[in-house]
Amino acid sequence: MTNPSMPIGAPLPGPAAGGGLDQPAVTESAAEVHVATKLEETAGPGEKEVLRVEDLTVSFPTDDGLVRAVRGVSYAVHEREVLGIVGESGSGKSVSSMAVMGLLPKSARIAGKILYRGDDLLKKSAKQQRALRGKKIAMIFQDPMTALNPVYSIGDQLAEAVLSHEIMPRKKALARAEEMLALVGIPQPNRRLDNYPHEFSGGMRQRAMIAMAVINNPDVIIADEPTTALDVTVQAQILETLVQVKDQVNAAIVLITHDLGVVAGMAHRVLVMYAGKPVEIAETDRVFYQPRMPYTAGLLGSIPSLEGNGAGSRLRPIVGTPPSLINMPTGCPFSPRCPLATGICREVEPPLAPTDELGHVAACHHWDKLAEVDDPTVFFRTESEAV
Amino acid sequence: MLVFIVRRVIISFFILLAATFVMYLLTANSGNPLGDLQESRAPNREALIEARIRLLNLDTPAPLRYFIWLKGAAGCLVPFALECDLGQSIQGQDVSALLGVAFTQTLQLVVAATVLAMILGITVGIVTALRQYSGLDYTVTFSAFLFFSLPIFWVAVLLKEYGAIRFNDWLADPTVPITVAVVLGAISALFWMIVIAGDRNRRITTFVAAFVASAGALWLLSETQWFADPGLGVVVIAVTAVGLAFLTTAVVAGFTYRNVLYSALASAAVGIVCHFALGPVLDDPSSLTILLLALVTVGVGVGIGYALGGLQRRQAIQAAVFTGLGTGALLFLDRLLGAWDSYSDRVNGRVIATIGARTPNFEGTFWEEGLDRATHLVLPTIAIVLISFATYTRYTRSSMLEVLNQDYVRTARSKGLAERGVIVKHAFRNAMIPITTLMAFDFAGVLSGAVITENVFGWTGLGRLFTDSLRAVDPNPVMGFFLIAGTAAVVFNMLADIAYAFLDPRIRLS
Amino acid sequence: MSNPTTPDPGPVPAADAATDAQGMTVVARTQAQMVRRRFFRHRAAMGGLIALVLIVLLAFSSIGFASVPGWWDKDYFSIATVENGGRPTLSVVPTWLGGSGMHLGEHPFGQDNVGKDYFALTMRGVQQSLTIAFIVGLVGTVIGTLIGATAGYFRGRIEAVLMRFTDVMITIPLLVVAAVLGRRYGDSGIVVLGLVIGLVTWTGLARLVRGEFLSLREKEFVEAARAAGTSARRIIVKHMLPNIVGVIIVAATLAIAAAILLEAALSFLGFGVQDPDTSLGKLISTYQTAFSTRPWLFWFPGVFIIAIALSVNFIGDGLRDAFDPRQNRVRD
Ligand SMILES: Nc1ncnc2c1ncn2[C@@H]1O[C@H](COP(=O)(O)OP(=O)(O)OP(=O)(O)O)[C@@H](O)[C@H]1O
Ligand code: SF4
Ligand SMILES: [Mg+2]
Repeated sequence: MTNPSMPIGAPLPGPAAGGGLDQPAVTESAAEVHVATKLEETAGPGEKEVLRVEDLTVSFPTDDGLVRAVRGVSYAVHEREVLGIVGESGSGKSVSSMAVMGLLPKSARIAGKILYRGDDLLKKSAKQQRALRGKKIAMIFQDPMTALNPVYSIGDQLAEAVLSHEIMPRKKALARAEEMLALVGIPQPNRRLDNYPHEFSGGMRQRAMIAMAVINNPDVIIADEPTTALDVTVQAQILETLVQVKDQVNAAIVLITHDLGVVAGMAHRVLVMYAGKPVEIAETDRVFYQPRMPYTAGLLGSIPSLEGNGAGSRLRPIVGTPPSLINMPTGCPFSPRCPLATGICREVEPPLAPTDELGHVAACHHWDKLAEVDDPTVFFRTESEAV
Repeated sequence: MLVFIVRRVIISFFILLAATFVMYLLTANSGNPLGDLQESRAPNREALIEARIRLLNLDTPAPLRYFIWLKGAAGCLVPFALECDLGQSIQGQDVSALLGVAFTQTLQLVVAATVLAMILGITVGIVTALRQYSGLDYTVTFSAFLFFSLPIFWVAVLLKEYGAIRFNDWLADPTVPITVAVVLGAISALFWMIVIAGDRNRRITTFVAAFVASAGALWLLSETQWFADPGLGVVVIAVTAVGLAFLTTAVVAGFTYRNVLYSALASAAVGIVCHFALGPVLDDPSSLTILLLALVTVGVGVGIGYALGGLQRRQAIQAAVFTGLGTGALLFLDRLLGAWDSYSDRVNGRVIATIGARTPNFEGTFWEEGLDRATHLVLPTIAIVLISFATYTRYTRSSMLEVLNQDYVRTARSKGLAERGVIVKHAFRNAMIPITTLMAFDFAGVLSGAVITENVFGWTGLGRLFTDSLRAVDPNPVMGFFLIAGTAAVVFNMLADIAYAFLDPRIRLS
Repeated sequence: MSNPTTPDPGPVPAADAATDAQGMTVVARTQAQMVRRRFFRHRAAMGGLIALVLIVLLAFSSIGFASVPGWWDKDYFSIATVENGGRPTLSVVPTWLGGSGMHLGEHPFGQDNVGKDYFALTMRGVQQSLTIAFIVGLVGTVIGTLIGATAGYFRGRIEAVLMRFTDVMITIPLLVVAAVLGRRYGDSGIVVLGLVIGLVTWTGLARLVRGEFLSLREKEFVEAARAAGTSARRIIVKHMLPNIVGVIIVAATLAIAAAILLEAALSFLGFGVQDPDTSLGKLISTYQTAFSTRPWLFWFPGVFIIAIALSVNFIGDGLRDAFDPRQNRVRD
């Protein structure tokens, strides 16, 4: 498998090589999420870029002022590639992906470009956008308990996804739905078609959602925290299903999560978001072992037992809270919480810039300080731990 | 499900039983049934009092008297086997007979009005929910609040004055002065501007277009003396029927797949052809003919939909049937208006009636009699609709907003389902679940709602029977009324529960 | 949407503050502040409140009440000669607009057919209607809350009995039972009338409160209180009721609006307030036939009924939005 480096706007990294991800202890230690089908066992990313987001900004006018939820997000994904997007709650992950889907409320002000195979979705008519939605770009949501309509059977809802894009006899659509349920590992799919959502467990509903997402062979699947609402054992199964299915339909996946552990075994590349902006983009293992942005390091520090040794066994959350999206302070948005912050940090907002490796970009004035230490999470240790 | 229904029926029965007991005691204590006699100067006063005591069993204490009443009422449970005996009124009339007559009148009065209020209210509620915070939304919200703050009898008095008395005066010389046409045109233009909304240019265009159209139409109708002998005419019917075809298609299927539209249009076309073909049959039909024609319409609609529907057969059938029925209704209305001229002559130009359900001793063709009923129904219907319409819009709006906020609506959009499907199939279907309960409650309360309307408009229905008897402290008709109203309440509440279970699989399957 | 780590979560109201375990009282106070703020921002509700206060002030200050005299020099029962066909002398068009100037005149709302001052009569009607509606609302709310709370808290047999009783009462249409009661108690004065009607208008609220209680009693703080041996009465009054006070207040407000119309309907049918006293509904009923000749006898009481009902409904709506802002979150 080749590893085409395709610089995007700013030097964004190309996708990681399919087999290039050796992951020492990371998956195991990062919670119990254990993906049986390892990412490297699946087909690696192809060369064709399917989705590219350029300088996307989204803001919402509200009574209290303009909420600037997304402030310039750029990324690209290629066939069969998994891009992880990680960030705290409220960092704009969902809003940016809803913008791609064209599902934001009408009040949202959207700027930038969302290119699907080179066509800007934002320039398309509502009708053209709808034709792509669910057909070429599909989405899986966080809470499977509420994402399915309680009054229609699973079969109905899956068939509807097909019938929305192609008029065909219902029987044929239902047959396709059955096939998809089998693909995502639901036993006795033909009986299950007639079930209502409340007769499915949480995990099964999320499988049904995955089936719905892939039923039209999409090019991109956006999975917005697909496992957050499920319990740990089921999480792993769902992620596994997702990777397997990806290969069946040759789709790219944008995997959104606030849990770095989920991304570890799952994504080729990771984009870290903070306060509506990407602050670091790199191949997954670079993010884990050589983060170049203190916020990422802080996130790593708050994963239970990353290294599995010594002081790391304690959870170290980043102190403080993200800035208000209405009155953004000047300088680096992370500066109030950053242990490395200096004067310049409070005055100049650092741009996303190349770091010490090709394709690894970070938005930090002092990324080089992180490069000087072995374990970057050290900056977030409390005094007592440091001793 | 069956167990659920049976249990529900049994519980309802006992609830009704208890309610009649409570009601009986209250009624028995509501006044002195001998009051009028005790004050009278009739020479045979004592004998009269004695007779009434025997008639109403007044020598038995009220709780025991209830069981006497109940024994007679129990006969009503088994329609033909046992005699239904609800006692007698003070005048010695049989209550069950009184109820029978009054019941039909009341049904005529409330059923159409309630159904109309539901349809209008739910439609407007949905539209305002979809356009939350628009000018339309604010206007409707304010009107809804105004409407349910209106005392219905107050509205009724106004309606009688302006809707009937002055309107009939005007019909004597039905011309619209140019100034009135301009004012009405401006009001209508304002209305359409609010409904259609959009940016400034669009508003101005809407306003001007609607103004010219409405004022012009009024002027034209006035000049051609249309109001003296109104009717729709084949052109108006044809245009409306085609519009209806597009509307039903838009709601049931959308326009991406043309076959549905073709079925609806075919259905409208068949209807218009019938306008000519059925001429003689419809000159003086019987109600049965009309009913048969309606059934045939449904049949033809199904046929057309089946034949032309292609891959969307189900939707095509729906569209064809609804369009067909709508077109049929237009033809019916046209015929009814056709009788206007002769009817107007026969009632001396007092076309819109203020009192009663029918003109006494009026006989004529099917259409004349139909128009007679219609003109008696217009005002009370408007009064009832105005007030319950408000509740429906508010309730539907909030139910719809709640549902539109749900995750599964977002999921439906994310599949690429067209907005029509998102709203009709996902949002509306779920929003209807709580609204069903409201509808059942409304039907349950409809009879008591008739109490005021009947009093104002002089209908001799159940409500009137109730107030008259209550005033005369005549317990048996009051109980008779309550038996019907209470049964309706219990039955419809039960239906609400069952409908709820039917609409919500989470309940149905457990 | 809840966003506990963000201090200023933008549009997401701080109703979520309840999830920050900061101790009950603090949350309760911020809640109350939020409610007040939202209510005062609700324009229709504020308009309604102001209108209602003005109407109440006008009605009670003009002709006085009980033995307190008012500023208006006529009363609602004295018969006088009918002047100028009993036409209203109220004029609101200023002279510079070609009118006859702004003044009240001798009989601002005109006179009825025996010459009683119609302004005084209308004000009396407003007083009576408001009093009855208030009593009905209060009695209905208290009973409904008691029954609903008891049923919801104790469950079991008590609940079964109370709720079946509620079912029975709900079966009897309100207007019907109120008319029967009004027939009996209409001439016992408005307080009695209000009380007896209040006795039958609690059913809806009882169901509502029971529902809320059923879900509340599963909450940790209730279980904790119970485990600590707190008495049932104390748990209900101190711990549970404060949590549904919003629901109750909103229901009470709307009940008052409904009671205004109910009283009017009863008096209209002749089963409400009886002679020699009056109410707005009774005035309309008495003069409905005079509409074509002396429309003011019909308009003035009608306008007051509508103004009162509308104001109270708007206040109720404002309160609902203030207590439960969920719906206002959708903004698109
Ligand atoms: N319709 C809206 N109107 C106003 N603000 C909004 C709207 N939708 C989202 N926001 C705001 O945008 C910000 C980003 O929200 P977003 O849902 O993208 O966060 P997220 O990263 O997905 O967080 P989470 O992990 O909690 O899902 C939040 O502060 C949110 O309050
Ligand atoms: S720019 Fe400064 S404040 Fe921001 S992350 Fe880097 S070191 Fe911290
Ligand atoms: Mg999110």
